[in-house]
Amino acid sequence: MQSEIRKKLIDAFTKSKGEYLSGQYLADLIGCSRTAVWKHIEELRKEGFELEAVRRKGYRITKTPEKVTPDEIRLGLQTETLGRQIHHEESVDSTQKIAHRLAYEGAQEGTVVIAEEQLSGRGRMDRRWHSPKSTGVWMSVILRPNIPPPKAPQLTLITAVAVVQAIEVLTDLTPQIKWPNDILMNGKKVTGILTELQADADRIISIIIGIGINVNQELDDYPDELKDIATSISIEKGEKLSRAELIRVLLGKLENLYKLYLDKGFYPIKLLWESYAVSIGKNLTARTITGSIYGKALGITEDGVLMIEDSSGKVHHVYSADIELDV
Amino acid sequence: MLKVQEIRELIKLVDQSNIDEFVYEHEGSKIKMKKKGNEAAVVQQIQPAVVQASAPAPQPVQSAAVEEPKAEAPAQVPAPQADAAEDLHKIVSPMVGTFYQSSSPDADAYVKAGSKVTKDSIVCIVEAMKLFNEIEAEVNGEIVEVLVKDGQLVEYGQPLFLVKPE
Repeated sequence: MQSEIRKKLIDAFTKSKGEYLSGQYLADLIGCSRTAVWKHIEELRKEGFELEAVRRKGYRITKTPEKVTPDEIRLGLQTETLGRQIHHEESVDSTQKIAHRLAYEGAQEGTVVIAEEQLSGRGRMDRRWHSPKSTGVWMSVILRPNIPPPKAPQLTLITAVAVVQAIEVLTDLTPQIKWPNDILMNGKKVTGILTELQADADRIISIIIGIGINVNQELDDYPDELKDIATSISIEKGEKLSRAELIRVLLGKLENLYKLYLDKGFYPIKLLWESYAVSIGKNLTARTITGSIYGKALGITEDGVLMIEDSSGKVHHVYSADIELDV
Repeated sequence: MLKVQEIRELIKLVDQSNIDEFVYEHEGSKIKMKKKGNEAAVVQQIQPAVVQASAPAPQPVQSAAVEEPKAEAPAQVPAPQADAAEDLHKIVSPMVGTFYQSSSPDADAYVKAGSKVTKDSIVCIVEAMKLFNEIEAEVNGEIVEVLVKDGQLVEYGQPLFLVKPE
């Protein structure tokens, strides 16, 4: 975990927006000697930051590492709670597992677990999610909302909207959402979201939102069987993205939508979600482990439940299913 | 079907309690008891065929993980006191969603009838909109009955398991 001093330093460089900060200023800020400041600067360099040191002017950050370390993400982070505690790992089994443990140990709301590589990413029902090192965003966010447990599934739709908005900001491309929360670009999956809830009968203890985004993978990174169904942001945009920036923007969007939701309820989220939805008004098949429904997607209910009208005019409310759109 | 001895035990419990009416259903059999003040209790045990015609559906009947239109909405979940007499703990669903007995289709069920559980044993998953809720037993004891099927849509508050507490 990052030290409090490093956090203060990074926050100061965030505020300075590329201007020089003097050694004395930084020493006063973090309450230590200028020699100690120099030591912390060296630590940042070891992490991959490039810092310029100019006599009489001070320090400024000129280049950031292509990693998603807590310092890298914190530089420019605009949130109040989300991502204020970041747990970074080089390689993990699953960020969800670590987040579970942290949540159990009392981690505060907004704590984020991020990995450069995820070895056994979990999709729905333990389906595998392809993830080579340092090309994607694999993260878990811990939330502790004071809402009734039956409302918790709505947070998966909120997260989908946040991811779409973040990609929109950074690429000018608008991804689409396939119910409930798969994110598609050009009809191929770019993001998967899986959420886990720990709750008592009437109280949420924690919600852990797992987000896997394909960011800088190239077409060759995908095995043939995935090429037609999966893509990355960089494949769609034609250039690489800073993953740290994507995470920062995403955490900002997610925090805003989460606050909006706690404040005004699901209705404004529903409108946003529907504006990005690929499936509304289209024919699709909803597959469940016990059977399938074919019909036209009418929209979602006030709770986020998918409504499908079959050929006889009967409207089905779908809580769980894999959706296949007609081609 | 309950044994005569078990029915006798039930009558005794209902008799001593302050409930006026008691209905118990299990695998298509149904027992209904009514108290008439201090007079003798009326006991009926109905065969499955009769139940189909007379009993309101206590839970969603469709097998797919979808809710039918409002007209077919499942009836209210039975009041908790119905089973209180039996001293069995009910594990109920905290939300509407799909009941999964295991972590993946290939995995073994978390529990089945006869499984011993502790308070924090995971007994199943209820999922809606890709939010997975691992349900814990909440009591130490033994699973007596699994009340729903894998993949079935469950309602908020619907009983999922009966547990005999230790």
